[in-house]
Amino acid sequence: MKQIKRIFTALLAACTLAAASGCNGDSASSSQIIGGADGPTSIVLTNDPRPAEGGEEKVLNIFTWATYFPDDILAEFTEQTGIKINYSNFSSNEEMLMKLEAGGEYDLVLASDYIIDIARGENLLAQLDQSKIPNFGNINPAFQGKFYDPENQYTVPYAAGIPLLIYNPDMVDFEVKGFEDLWNPAFADSIVVMDDARNVIGLTLKTLGKSLNETDPAVLDQAKEKLFSLKPNIRALDYDSPYNLMLSGETAIGYMFTSQIITALNENPNLKVVFPEEGLGFGIDSCFIPAQAPHPDNAHQFLDFILDGQRSAHITDQIYYISCNSAASEYLENQALVIPDEAIEGAEFMQDVGSATQTYNDIWAEFKLQ
Amino acid sequence: MNKRQNRFPAAAVPFLLWTVVFVAIPLIYILCMSFLKRAQTWGVVAEFSFDSYARMVTPTYLKVYAQSMWLAVLTTLFTLLIGYPFSYFVSRLSERRRSLVLLLVVVPFWTNSLVRIYGWMILLRSQGVINTLLIALGVIETPLKLLYNFGAVLVGMIYALLPFMILSTYSAIEKLDPSLVEAARDLGAGRWRAFWTVTVPMTRAGIMAGCVLVFIPSVGLFFISDLLGGAKTMLLGNLIKNELLTARDWPMGAALSVVMMAMTLLVIGIYQKCSGERGLEGIL
Repeated sequence: MKQIKRIFTALLAACTLAAASGCNGDSASSSQIIGGADGPTSIVLTNDPRPAEGGEEKVLNIFTWATYFPDDILAEFTEQTGIKINYSNFSSNEEMLMKLEAGGEYDLVLASDYIIDIARGENLLAQLDQSKIPNFGNINPAFQGKFYDPENQYTVPYAAGIPLLIYNPDMVDFEVKGFEDLWNPAFADSIVVMDDARNVIGLTLKTLGKSLNETDPAVLDQAKEKLFSLKPNIRALDYDSPYNLMLSGETAIGYMFTSQIITALNENPNLKVVFPEEGLGFGIDSCFIPAQAPHPDNAHQFLDFILDGQRSAHITDQIYYISCNSAASEYLENQALVIPDEAIEGAEFMQDVGSATQTYNDIWAEFKLQ
Repeated sequence: MNKRQNRFPAAAVPFLLWTVVFVAIPLIYILCMSFLKRAQTWGVVAEFSFDSYARMVTPTYLKVYAQSMWLAVLTTLFTLLIGYPFSYFVSRLSERRRSLVLLLVVVPFWTNSLVRIYGWMILLRSQGVINTLLIALGVIETPLKLLYNFGAVLVGMIYALLPFMILSTYSAIEKLDPSLVEAARDLGAGRWRAFWTVTVPMTRAGIMAGCVLVFIPSVGLFFISDLLGGAKTMLLGNLIKNELLTARDWPMGAALSVVMMAMTLLVIGIYQKCSGERGLEGIL
């Protein structure tokens, strides 16, 4: 009995510690139910669990980042169709794939290009039935036929993003042209970049005239050396809210994702956006239906719903990414960021680099330890 | 030996089941995982290897452990230097004031620690409370760079973990019989001598418990270094998170977790040796 008491005390101690140290991640991945509480009509409809004509239960399980699908779009879908939406969120693509592989029952997943490519290799995607998506033709062909879905069989592109430089002209006395300017001693201790190995090593590779997806150890070694010389200029690494540092005057220049650039510009229109002359990185977030989806018909219905031009424009105006929908352009209200066509043309996709990921990660760890 | 005492207690079954399912099996799973290999794109290859452990002794990783340990040691030291005198004076207060002060120590726990760390960011940033105040008072002209450095991380760590130190040292100091200190003084010991030879040894268990409670979480509290240090430092906690989620190298993440657990056990071992306690009851 003494023994058991001792084990119990030890366990209690361990739990206390775990609770004390583990308050970070989990709050981001809880589930919530959206829709159904917005008006009397939707309440009546969601309380009706009878299967639709196809025999499918009136439920749609969506899995993506928090708030990536705007709330009003989800509520409108529920109101119109009576399909109740369960919105679960993940905080990283990798978390998504882990949960999907572990048998998570999701009907519609919205995630990034490279992870969709991996999921496709693992046979986790279901082929889309385009006859159930009349609005499929609205998709801008510029965002189709990419490496993760060359035949457009599995995915519907939702939004595209390009990380860009943004700087505060009040704090800089020269014009910033590209990534190389980050190494300028004038930026000592005043740069914020995302806390992300691939993106930051990627921009370093670009200054060397190499690909974002370089796997050659010799080239990566060269990039590592160059990256290390950037350390004195780095004020902070921030993945989630780098615009705060730009807005509070903490940093003079930042490298961040499209939505974050637009957020910063909305607050301070004097900030200047730079399309780096060395070339751009590019990414597309797309929707797919998992092979094991319990309600694929509802998912098709939802895809068609969001591909409607007006609705798609409404989404783009709220999420601050680049629209992938040709039919949406005439309805767009927020024109804060128009990326020149030639910049997009030269942009390079960031793809999975297989086991070189380890090298990238090690360089990143060493960079931080500098 | 009494036969009745040896009988397996039925009441312990749910607890044992819980331990096996939620503690033993996951631990064994992590241990096994750490000896596998990363697959090219996703998942692991069922192939026995020491690769992860071999990679762990490279200079980069050794530096991560050193940095984590250094931060943990400093945090423990500072919380002790602040927490012990604090507890000492609280124990001298009247009963009513004492419980009020202890309540105030615990109150911040009612708020999420992440939110409290954001509070520190508002205080420390260049247009933050401290800088604005100093500029308004004419003490400085350009804002001080208070945020995004090692000092800011240390302040955040001490702030987050101080209550653990205060509560454990307080419970030890409170139990101390003041007449023992008086006896030492009567027998000619000076203030300091009485403190070092009577008070400190008598409260050693509380001090050690506080150190363990501060040291162990401080190795893993990576969000504080991410937010206040601008993610420029790499701690063991960050490394494990990166290996699992970014590099998708589960065996490496598992191996690092095994090392972290070994480090924790080592600290608890030292605690047991120094405090003379065999279990961990003293901590609670």
